[in-house]
Order: sequence, then structure tokens, then C-alpha cells
Amino acid sequence: MHLDTIVIEKTVAAIGSVIVFAVAAFALKNDWKTPGIENQVFKIMLGLLALGGIIAFFAGIGVLGNFPKGA
Amino acid sequence: MQTHEQAELHGGGVADHIHPEPQTFVRKYIFSIDHKIIGLQYIITGFVFFILAGLLAEVIRAQMMHATGGVVDSNTYDEIYSVHGSAMVWLVVIPLLTGGFGNFVFPLQIGARDVAFPWLNMLSFWIFPPAGLMLFASFLMGAPQAGWTEYPPMSLQGQAGTSMWCAAIFLVGVSSTLTGINFLVTILKMRAPGMTFTRMPLFVWAQFATAPLLMIATTALAGALAALFMERQFGVPFFDPTKGGSPVLWQHMFWFYSHPAVYIMILPAFGMISEIFPTFTRKPIFGYKMIAFSSVAIALLGFMVWAHHMFTSGLAPWLQLPFMLLTMVIAIPTGIKIFSWVTTLWGGKIQFTTAMLFAIGFIATFTFGGITGVFLSAVPFDLHAHGTYFIVAHLHYVLVGGSLMGILAGMHYWFPKMSGRMLSEKVGRWTFWLFFIGFNGTFLPMHWQGLMGMPRRVAQYDPQFQGVNQFESYASVVMTIALLLFFYNVLWSLRHGKKAGPNPWGARTLEWQIPSPPHYYNFKHVPTVFAAPYDFAEPLPYTGLEDELTDSPGPQPASSSSS
Amino acid sequence: MAVASIAQHDEHQGVDRLYAETRDLRLQGFLLFLVSDIVLFSSFIFAYLYLRNSGQGFPPPGIGRLDVAFAAYNSMVLFGSGCTMHYALENWKHGNFNKYAGCLIATIVLGLMFLGGQGYEYHSLIVNDHVTWSGSGIFGASFFTLTGMHGFHVFVGVCYLSILLLQSVHGVYTKQKFFGLTAGTLYWHFVDVIWVVLFSIFYLI
Repeated sequence: MHLDTIVIEKTVAAIGSVIVFAVAAFALKNDWKTPGIENQVFKIMLGLLALGGIIAFFAGIGVLGNFPKGA
Repeated sequence: MQTHEQAELHGGGVADHIHPEPQTFVRKYIFSIDHKIIGLQYIITGFVFFILAGLLAEVIRAQMMHATGGVVDSNTYDEIYSVHGSAMVWLVVIPLLTGGFGNFVFPLQIGARDVAFPWLNMLSFWIFPPAGLMLFASFLMGAPQAGWTEYPPMSLQGQAGTSMWCAAIFLVGVSSTLTGINFLVTILKMRAPGMTFTRMPLFVWAQFATAPLLMIATTALAGALAALFMERQFGVPFFDPTKGGSPVLWQHMFWFYSHPAVYIMILPAFGMISEIFPTFTRKPIFGYKMIAFSSVAIALLGFMVWAHHMFTSGLAPWLQLPFMLLTMVIAIPTGIKIFSWVTTLWGGKIQFTTAMLFAIGFIATFTFGGITGVFLSAVPFDLHAHGTYFIVAHLHYVLVGGSLMGILAGMHYWFPKMSGRMLSEKVGRWTFWLFFIGFNGTFLPMHWQGLMGMPRRVAQYDPQFQGVNQFESYASVVMTIALLLFFYNVLWSLRHGKKAGPNPWGARTLEWQIPSPPHYYNFKHVPTVFAAPYDFAEPLPYTGLEDELTDSPGPQPASSSSS
Repeated sequence: MAVASIAQHDEHQGVDRLYAETRDLRLQGFLLFLVSDIVLFSSFIFAYLYLRNSGQGFPPPGIGRLDVAFAAYNSMVLFGSGCTMHYALENWKHGNFNKYAGCLIATIVLGLMFLGGQGYEYHSLIVNDHVTWSGSGIFGASFFTLTGMHGFHVFVGVCYLSILLLQSVHGVYTKQKFFGLTAGTLYWHFVDVIWVVLFSIFYLI
């Protein structure tokens, strides 16, 4: 496949999202037991970041999303 | 449960942090961060806008004297009732109840020295007068003409003043949102030691239920106003059906805020009534927990009923039904409160001070308005009554017979605390009776008028209604005289009123245990609280207040630590 | 009560109680502010979904599809900045100033890259596809309004983080007292979360 922009973007999205998901999950695991309200909020935000990574991964591999035909 | 000594050792925490007393006139009275001064600023500004909006109302009544042709032409009449409604809701009732009484009273009632964010409080206030002036300035460039609800497409075609209206109300909304955040954090975090939620005065419960409404609902309105502004100024299509938008969308966005807004306008008044009744019946309030929890229930349910303003907008029946049911359900916690208040009266030794008269009058007129609200919640009835004077009657019974009577009750109750002087009871009695008679004379016949078919927001109407309209206009003059008497009472008593001690009513909440008016630091020592305040048979449930009324010097400002 | 327990926890770590409680107040106030900001976005998201549901086909015929691949790439940039921001705060709490500063600068750079990406996308939509804010019906209206609001929040966030960086260089924050950094991190994560929602509703569905 020749490297037009759309392929680069999708690759970055797919690989980047794996990294983001890994980082978010790792941070969540480490900080799971911290008390205090801002830590609870951070954990929620990290969880949503992980979710964002999952969604972006599926967009990157073309499963999710309104792609124009043939992309 | 902490003893007073323990509380002293650990301090009152944040509630104990004192800022140094302001020295200059400007820092004391103009750019003050003291919640008491800010509260007074809101009250004064709110009443100024009340006079302006009230004058607009009198122009409305003058126009209604004649069925055809009146004092102003139709376009001007449209401007007048639009600004009258907008001003009364956003520049009078909400600021007076939340910014005014909320700011002044509830921090004292929870034993705090100020609210959580005093600078933010000052910012909240100072946004308010310019925004209000902006609204009234819209008359100079063609005021809004589509009612306070500004439905598109009419608001899209409105004069330049409609955009001013968007900007002005947006700003006032920012002020409200910040106040809501401030109050919520204050109540959650700055109560005196020992004051659990079930030992809070009911006025604090009312503000606690209102604060999330201020915070959440007002921001939704900001979105709607921004969208309307962008559509008018930049042509961005949200509501214009020719460009794919939807006028019903505006109604959803607008009413999602404006219905909770009416609860913002009544919950603090409910709280005031809950304070006034026990004091003037010398009895504990009946059903403290019921009243407290029903305030929260009303606030929550208030978010779920907005489309009952939209029954004639083409909503699908399956959508109308839940809104109808939820609206009826909201009458239940309200009814619980009314019954609790009335039961408080039972067997009590009632003192008919002016505050009490207004409070009892409130029960009568607000209940009446609430009942017409239940009528309106039924879709078939609303289809007939929507857009008629029946609605005008209903809304004025709950807003004037409810909120305004509550404000007047609160003014007569807390004026001694705010100013150190008593209002004249004699003038107060005249005020109440003239107001009550004038109010009912003005708005009671509107129920029949509406059902017989007179629509609202019309500059000319069918001559069959002329007689009743003239009667109402005369009655409104009686109401105006009553209000003028009230202002005269306030102004005169500020100079010549009898000096009030700390507790002229013998009430039991914390604000009455300190001098009138309070020192800038509120309490010399933050008290510890052992019980709810309403049990008249018991001694006062506080410790640490021994020093408050003596001449001893106040507490010194603590060195602050921040970051 | 909650105040006492957090205060005790902090006292245990040598933080003075008054600071702990003022920080508590400010944290709660800041969280409530974020809640109200969520409501603001929600009202526009409701408007967009309502309008889209009024049955005109979306995007309307004649308007190009949105570039999902580019947006997915740009999302990675923003989510990546969320990760770096998290680590910036962690490093600060553990006292590693240099790593903290590196992470914070990376966050700011990634944030600016995201804004650049948004600018590129807007340019491409306006110039190539002729989709404008006011001239493309409800599609242009909702897309540019919502992503514009979000972009503005990112821009404010970038400014805020830059100020935090300068302040921390000047020693305003200590290992115990760093509420500004906490608030900045919370705000940045909030901006991230809003983008997850916007990305999903504009590009994916």
C-alpha cells in the first residue's frame, strides 16, 4: 500500500492509542488505592482517557467511524 | 461531639480564618468582600431594578385600561412586557433571594465568618448592575419584543436589543453560576463544629437545594443564549427552520433552565417562611426533616419537568405524558411543606408581626398559585389555557404571591439584623393589607379572563374584557401604594427606627445571637452546635457564644497560608 | 466529617491544617466549576444531537465527510498530552522538578499541536469542502460551535499550563502546597474527556 496521509494518520492513531491506553491503565493500577477526592476524580479521568484510547484504536483500524468509501 | 474547649484547641478550621478589617470607604462599602455588605448591595440593587420593572408593569396596566388603542403602540407594548418579565426574573427575584438574603443570612446561620470564596462573591455581585443596565439600555436600540422567553423565529427577527438581552442575561447567568458554586462549597465545608446537616436551619437547607440549580441550570441557559446570539449576529443556524434548525430546540434549551429557575425563585422564600413561622409561633417547626428533604426533592424533580411549558409546541403525546406526571408529582413535596407550615401554626402562640403577616399571606397566595399549577400540569387543560391570562394569573400568584411576599416577609424579619433598627409595625400592617388586597384584586380576575379567552401579550383585546381589566388596573395602583409605603418605611426607619437589640424577635438561629448589625468578623468565637435550633422548650443549643454581646475586642486576623 | 479526615491525613504528612482545609475548599469549588462547564457543553451536545435527529441525513448531501483518520491522529496527540500531564503531576509530588518540567512542557507542546491540527482541519473544511460556520446548515453550525468551544478551552488550558510552568519555576509551589498544579491537571483531563465525547459524536457515529 502506498503511503498517503490517511494511512499515516490511521497508523499513528492505532499505535498511539495502544500506548495511551497502556499508560492510562498502568497509572490507574498504581494509584488505585490513593484516598482523597482529587485522586478519585483523577482515576475517573484516567479511566475515560483509557476509554478514549480504545475508541481511537478502533477508529485507527477503520472499524469505527464514518470513513469515506475506499479509505 | 466536641466540647467547646476541644473546638478552641483545634480551632474552627477554615471557618475561623479572619481577614483584616477593611479601612477605606471603597473597600468597606463598594468593593467589599464581606458577605454582609455584598448581600446588602444585592438587596439595594435588586430593589432598584424592582422599581424600574414595576414601572413597566404600571405601563402595562395603563395600556390595559382600554381595549383598543392605549398609551403605547403594539411594538412598544411588546418591548415593555418583555423587559418587565426579564427584569423581574433575572434582575429582581433571583438576585434578591440568592445574592441578597442568601449572602447576608445563611453564612451567619452556619456560624461561618464568610462564604468560601469572598472575592468570587464580590465579582458575582459586580457583574450584576452592569448586566442589568445593559438589559434596560436595550430600550435605546429596540428592546426585545418576544416576551421574556424570546422564542425564535420572532427573536431571530428582533431588533438589536434582543442581542443585548442575550448578552445581559448571559452575564447575569455567570454571576448566578458563580454564586451557586460559592454557596454550595460554603454549606458543604464551612459549617460550625457540631452542625451536621440535620442541625442546619431550614433557610440553609433551602439555599443548599437552590445552589445546584444555580450552578447547573443557569449554565444550560448560557448555552441557549449563546446559540441565539451566534445565530442573530453571525448567521449560525440553530433555530431557523429554513436553514435546518428547529424553533422547538430553543424551547427545550430555554425551559431546561427556566423551569429550575422558578424553583430558584421559590425555594429560598420557602426557607424564609420556615424561619419566620417557628419564631412567631414560639413552637418548633413541624416536620423539620420533611421540609428539608422535600426542598432537595423539589430541586431534583425541577430538572425533569421543563416540557410542561411546551405542551402546545407539537411534542409527541408519549413525551407529554411523563412530563405531565412528573409535574403533578412535584406538587407532593410542595404540599408536604405547606402542611408542615400550617401544622406549625396549630397550637402556637402566634405573634402577628408584619413578617408573620406576610408569611401567612404567602401560604394563602402561593398555595393558590400552586394549585392552578396543578391544573396546568394536565395536558388537556393546558392546551386550552396556554398563552392566555390564566397563565399570567398563575405565574403572578406564585411569583408575586409567593416569591415577592417571601421577600417582603424576609425584609421585615431581617431588617433589624441588617440595620440595627426596627421597621415600623404600624406602617408594616398597612403595607401588608394594602398589598394583599391590591395583589388579589389585580391578579385574581385574570384566571377567569384567561379561561374566557383573553390571550396574553396583546396590546389590544376584545372589548368584553375591558371592565375587568380596568378593575385590575385600579387594584394594581393599590398594590403600588403598598410598595411605596414599604420603601418609605425602610428609608425612614434607617434613620429614625427604634434601635433593635441583637434579638428583637427572640429567635433561636445563630444570626440572632450576635449584635445587630454584626461585626465584620461575624463571631468572636465560632460556636459549637448541639442541636437543631427550633426547640423552643430547650435552652439554646450552642456553646461559645458568651462573649458575643460584650465589649471585648474582636479576634485578630490570622496569618494566612496559601498556594 | 470529611474535612476532619482529610485534614488528619494531611497533618500526618506534616501539612498544616488550615492549608489543608483551604485547599479542600478550592478543590471542591474547582470541581463544581468543571461540572458547570460540562453542563455548558452538554447543552450544545443536546442541541447537535436533537438537530441531527430531525432527519436530514448527516452530513447533508453535498458536504464532504469529516476526516476521521486525521481526527483520530489528532486525538492521540491530545490524549498523549493527558498522559504527560498526569506524569508531570506525579513527578512534582515525588520532588523530581526536572522530569516534572519536561512533562509539563511536553503537555503544552502537544496541546499546541492539537490546536494546530484543529486549525488545519478547519482550513481544509472551509477552503476545500466549503463547509462554513454559518453557511452549511446545522452541520457547520454544530461542528464549528462545539469543536470551537472545545478548542477555546484547550487554548485557555495551554495558557494556564504555561502560567503554572512559570510559577513553578519561580518557586510558588512546594512539595506540600501545589493546588494550582492539581487544578491544572484536573482541567486538562477535563478537556481530554470532552474531546472523547466530541470525537465520538462527530466522527464516529
